[in-house]
Amino acid sequence: MNRLAFTLLCALPALAQDARQIVDEAQKRSRAGSQRYEGTLEVIDARRKVSTKRWVYERLGAAGESKAVLRFTAPAEVKGVALLIHNHPDRASDQWMWTPAVARERRIALQDRRTRFFGTDFTFEDLEERDVDRASYKLLGEENHLGALCWKIQSTPRVDARSQYSRTLLWIRKDNYVLLQVEGYGAGKNEDKLIRRIRYSDIEKIQNIWTARMLEVHDLERDSRTVMKLEKLQYNLPLSPENFTLQALRRER
Amino acid sequence: MMLLRLITWPYVRKHLLRTLLTTAGIVLGVAVFVGMHTANQSVLHAFNRTVYQIAGATQLQVTAGEAGFPEEILEKVQAHPGVAVAVPVIEAAVQTGIEGQGNLLILGVDMTGDRSLRDYDLENAGDTIIEDPLVFLAQPDSLIVSEQFSRRTGLALNRKLTMRTMQGPRQFTIRGVMKSAGMASAFGGNLAIMDVYAAQLVFGRGRKFDRIDLTVRAGASVDGVRRGLQRALGEGLQVDPPGSRGKQFEAMLQIYSMSGNVTSIFALFIGLFLIYNTFSIAVTQRRSEIGILRALGATRGQIKRLFLLESGITGLLGSLAGLALGVIIARGMAAYIGGLIGNVYGVAQRAEEVAADPRLLASALGLGLLTSLIAGWLPARNAAQVDPVRALQKGRVQVISAGENRARRLTAAVMLALAVVCVFYGHQQAVFYTGYLLSILAVLLMTPALGNWLTQALRPALKRIRPVEGALAADSLLQAPRRTSGAVAALALSIALVIGLGGIARSSFESITTWAETALNPDFFITGSESITQRSFCFSDTLGPEIAAVPGVEEVQAVRTVRIIHQGTPVMLVATDVERLARRVRLKVIEGRRQEMYAGAARGEGVVISDNFALIHRVHLGDVLRVPSPGGMLSLRVLGVVQDYSDTQGTILLDRRLFLRHWRDDTINAFRVYLRPGAARDAVRQDLLNRFGGQMRFYVLTNQELKDYIRKLTEQWFGLTYVQIAVAVLVAILGIVNALTVSISDRRRELGVLRAVGGLRNQIRHTIWIEALTIGVLGLTIGFALGAVHLYYILEVAKRDLSGTRLDYRYPFQIAATLLPVVLGAALISAIGPAESAVRGSLVEALEYE
Repeated sequence: MNRLAFTLLCALPALAQDARQIVDEAQKRSRAGSQRYEGTLEVIDARRKVSTKRWVYERLGAAGESKAVLRFTAPAEVKGVALLIHNHPDRASDQWMWTPAVARERRIALQDRRTRFFGTDFTFEDLEERDVDRASYKLLGEENHLGALCWKIQSTPRVDARSQYSRTLLWIRKDNYVLLQVEGYGAGKNEDKLIRRIRYSDIEKIQNIWTARMLEVHDLERDSRTVMKLEKLQYNLPLSPENFTLQALRRER
Repeated sequence: MMLLRLITWPYVRKHLLRTLLTTAGIVLGVAVFVGMHTANQSVLHAFNRTVYQIAGATQLQVTAGEAGFPEEILEKVQAHPGVAVAVPVIEAAVQTGIEGQGNLLILGVDMTGDRSLRDYDLENAGDTIIEDPLVFLAQPDSLIVSEQFSRRTGLALNRKLTMRTMQGPRQFTIRGVMKSAGMASAFGGNLAIMDVYAAQLVFGRGRKFDRIDLTVRAGASVDGVRRGLQRALGEGLQVDPPGSRGKQFEAMLQIYSMSGNVTSIFALFIGLFLIYNTFSIAVTQRRSEIGILRALGATRGQIKRLFLLESGITGLLGSLAGLALGVIIARGMAAYIGGLIGNVYGVAQRAEEVAADPRLLASALGLGLLTSLIAGWLPARNAAQVDPVRALQKGRVQVISAGENRARRLTAAVMLALAVVCVFYGHQQAVFYTGYLLSILAVLLMTPALGNWLTQALRPALKRIRPVEGALAADSLLQAPRRTSGAVAALALSIALVIGLGGIARSSFESITTWAETALNPDFFITGSESITQRSFCFSDTLGPEIAAVPGVEEVQAVRTVRIIHQGTPVMLVATDVERLARRVRLKVIEGRRQEMYAGAARGEGVVISDNFALIHRVHLGDVLRVPSPGGMLSLRVLGVVQDYSDTQGTILLDRRLFLRHWRDDTINAFRVYLRPGAARDAVRQDLLNRFGGQMRFYVLTNQELKDYIRKLTEQWFGLTYVQIAVAVLVAILGIVNALTVSISDRRRELGVLRAVGGLRNQIRHTIWIEALTIGVLGLTIGFALGAVHLYYILEVAKRDLSGTRLDYRYPFQIAATLLPVVLGAALISAIGPAESAVRGSLVEALEYE
């Protein structure tokens, strides 16, 4: 799920070569042939009401050109609901959702990616992985952020990327190229308005990859938060490509 | 103005009742015109608003009629470069089962994308009203209802609502409540949202969508995208703005508009005669005043203008009163029409705001004023021609000269001849309507002569009944044909209107009943909806053999009916096993040969169309229809035309195999079930319900129940006709009261002389009563004849310009028989007041009158 960072990170445009290299390096360092974890998701709405969900996430392939399946395991009402994501380097990803109760998959169309991901503070777009070249970058400077020295980079998505964000600001740690924070700004009339902030914490090295074990998304418009914890995280597992197809999605209920 | 104040006002004050009665025709004509059109416009406006409320930001909609289309189309639409957002929709009306709540329109949408199009108002200031979007999608029993519905029914979040689905009764959970604005206020809040894929299951739609709602990409032209998408999808699918859904609704309302127009024109015509009559009398009564005015130097133009101004003011006041009454009528009618639409479309369309269009009000006002001025023109001209020297001579002007009579008869004969010619060349709309108008004008022009002949014919009989009073009454009418003919013409028009309206109702009833006896002959009709006209729920076609296996069942015919758009208008497509249908049903053939047409249709070589479809779309045997199907445009030859009243917009019958091939739709709306001879009807019905009723939505209607339902529906359609009949009878009664009031006022001196020479009060009373009854008889006789002509024309109007329905000519003898005592009774009752006024007044005053 730390690929989420790159989604936001790559979805923005900028020009500085240095900035692009930093982002590219950060992506390279987090690269793994596959990934699996069990996630816990807590959505805390404006009334501070908390709802919890659990899922299992599997990814095959490197960032920007991977296939992933996210399957809910709890609570009972949503158990079995799954999301299949096919990421492409040159275009937006394909996404399908499987709902076992009606035994149907639905394609989530490109234009719907601004929609919140099932009541969380992520949007479908936030779940995508994109190639570094889908955005341009500008190094804004260096600053201490959340206790670490970071590069502050502005990323602007290319026009054809059809992003909900006009730009994002990224804080990447200088010592290990780990992303610490992403801030997404609205598009159109809301160009200067910060709409979403994602913070990465509990960073530890797993199988030689620096990984954030906790993400906190804050939707500033709705004043709600989603906290995601990654457990039992493993990289480079032997996963079968057949598990990342619509047939597999339908099969495993 | 001074003349108005000095001359007109005192006269009006003296004859206030008469003035009020005179304006009645204008009031009613304008009121019916405004009421009917305002009601139609309001319901249409409410419907369109509902369409847009539901459509949200939707700019275009992709549809294939009611048949729906395969899911794959969605990806094609979403992939179109001009499309920004495209989402699938399923729409269905479902009975809530909650008393007083009626039906609920369920919109099946894909919430993962739909919120880009529609504002569900689910969230407000961070307060999430939908419990959990993931649970909503994951659980097919999820429902979002409007706040209004939730409040009315007490169904709050997480409460259960049981509805009958294609999988039997199922409990649904309220997982969201929409705020009562925008979309949630459509259909008065009777709107619910569910997941589109759950809706496919619940409504038995297979893997199809009813439509796709879309918005175009920023900067793209809506029309350009529409054309591009239409090309990409082919002609089998329609790409239109949401507003085009109002077309079908408009077509239905057009029938009411047209019938309202006919009633209004007749009422105004009646008003025209009432005004003409009153003003003619007024000119007579005020001859001495006119003479004095002329002697004092008033010009003919001034006199003419004075009377025209009077009629104009009468028309203006009558029209203003009509406008006010019309708005009141509109409120009642809007509720009625909205309810009627609900019967056909599943959910009642409430027109909460009834607002009259200022242009409509202005037109109605102008119409009333114009009618009044036309009516006043002839009396005004006569007033202007009054010779001051002869002004004190009385009575002569009530006599129509032999020359005038000849001219009238000649004109009437020419008009009648032209009207007959128009019948033969009536295929042209303008010629047809000219003929209609000429025939009515001819009868009206002939009214004095006809009245005279009839009175002469009645005189011996009247004299035999009452030697003195009968003769006096007949002579009075004969001596004042101008006064009498106005009243008789107004009455005859009213009666003709009643006959026409009653006739079309009777013709429809009889034609539909005869058709229903032939077409609807199965023992049972099995449907998935409470009403046969609703097509929200479909069966799987595998159910047919299961029903056929039930003991007592001889044959089962599966029928799929879907509304499709043909040349921009909605028509009904009926797909069934044509060969089996033809063996059981023998509809009246209009074009083609029975055996050949059905055999050809069964082989999939073409279609059999209904007569009204043929008339509306001007197609005949051998023509090729271009029918849109999800697979593309089909060219289907017309193999025959039959009389079929299944749908007001027309039907196309085709073999189900052809339908399956091109629509890829194997669902069924209804099964026509024939029982074996001797099978116990009730027992088989119960057996069917026991076997299938618990598993799915399964309604078994008996033949009689279906026919009763159709009769009820037809009666509702004609509900407004009965209101119009009541209005026409009221106008007829007002006409008699007016004529007699005018007549008595005009003859006060004459009646005074009668009393002075020894005439008994009772004799005078009886004379007036007989006179009233005679006017009634004259009006009835001419009205019945004019009604026969009027009925012919309105049946033609219904056929050619309304529903295309060919109705048999049926003269409404029952209504005519009812009118006899009603009109004669009304005549007698309306004579009581004037008669008492004539006998109770001062003899001296009466002798001094005028």
